Amino acid sequence: MTASMRIASVRLLSKTRHYFSSEVAVQPGARTVHHQPASTRFVFTSVRCNVCLIPVAFLHKGRAYGTQSSSVTVTEEPDLLFQKLSVLVKSHDKAVLDSYEFFATLAAKELGLTLAKVFEPPKNIERLTLLKSVHIFKKHRVQYEMRTHYRCIEISRITGSTSRVYLEYIQRNLPEGVAMEVTKTAIEKVPDHIQMPLWSVQSQEKQGSQ
Amino acid sequence: MAASLRHSTLFTTVCRQLNSTLWLNVGGRSIHSSAVCCKNRAARIRVGKGDRPVTYEQALHPHQIAHRKGWLSQHTSNLQGEDGAADRTVEDLFIRRLIYGTFHGCLADELVIKRRGNLLVICALMLQKLPPHKYYFLVGYTEELLSHFYKCPVKMEIQMLEEKSVYKYL
Repeated sequence: MTASMRIASVRLLSKTRHYFSSEVAVQPGARTVHHQPASTRFVFTSVRCNVCLIPVAFLHKGRAYGTQSSSVTVTEEPDLLFQKLSVLVKSHDKAVLDSYEFFATLAAKELGLTLAKVFEPPKNIERLTLLKSVHIFKKHRVQYEMRTHYRCIEISRITGSTSRVYLEYIQRNLPEGVAMEVTKTAIEKVPDHIQMPLWSVQSQEKQGSQ
Repeated sequence: MAASLRHSTLFTTVCRQLNSTLWLNVGGRSIHSSAVCCKNRAARIRVGKGDRPVTYEQALHPHQIAHRKGWLSQHTSNLQGEDGAADRTVEDLFIRRLIYGTFHGCLADELVIKRRGNLLVICALMLQKLPPHKYYFLVGYTEELLSHFYKCPVKMEIQMLEEKSVYKYL
């Protein structure tokens, strides 16, 4: 796999899987590959924070048709590592969520990701009681309710590039009326200045001075 | 409606008085009168003679949504923790009126409006009233107009029917 290799589209899962299984290394400092689809704009930049919560409902996606062929770049900076990638989908229709869960779990298995948990948080019902008539008739009311069903897919031990590819594929095929919230828990290397506790350093200095 | 309410309240007060005098009578019957306002009339076609053809969408009442009916407008703003519901509703109303006017007499059933990310998809069932080249022109015209108006890509997916599909006669 050379740096100049081009991947035609994200939907060629078999190619992507082969690519990632050979290239991505777990240790920091390894060369990582950034897959940059040219046409879409994403909020998922490489943020060095522990938890990012970016609801897809606020995501501005580019045009659904007319995608150009994407190029692959290789950089020296280390890839982000995520301990947990939590994808929460919500919708009014439970059947749609069932089918989407099947699709997302199948995609994860094809990419070789470890599915930690796939569960259904309890539904939330928001009820409103309003007056039935425009004028007077206080005793006659009408009640409405809005049901939100949830489904959560948790993936453990995933790299930044893989998560980007998986999330892009998942989100391109998100059905209408379904919202998604993604939570990523990143792993960072412990900073050098707190590798050794202060009291042990001071005791070493005292021993050295003595 | 106010006049009938007054009559019904008079009737109920008379009945209550009668009941209070006859309280010794075990198992006394009382009359239950409801104001006309009690009945729900939203999105319902009342049962009539049996000569009025009605589609599946019209025949099922709104409490059947999510049971036997689907949703005509699919977007995420009514979910828990999402906003923009009022804007989407106003957009939907505008789109429905625009298309009802543009394809006057050609619509077989209600529109289905779907939002996928930025993309607005309008699904319509049409009758074969106009020649096809006119349909192509009107579809392109509405797509162009709405995409310029709402600043997002708009797609129309139409399906042709020979006549309105009747579910039952009410």
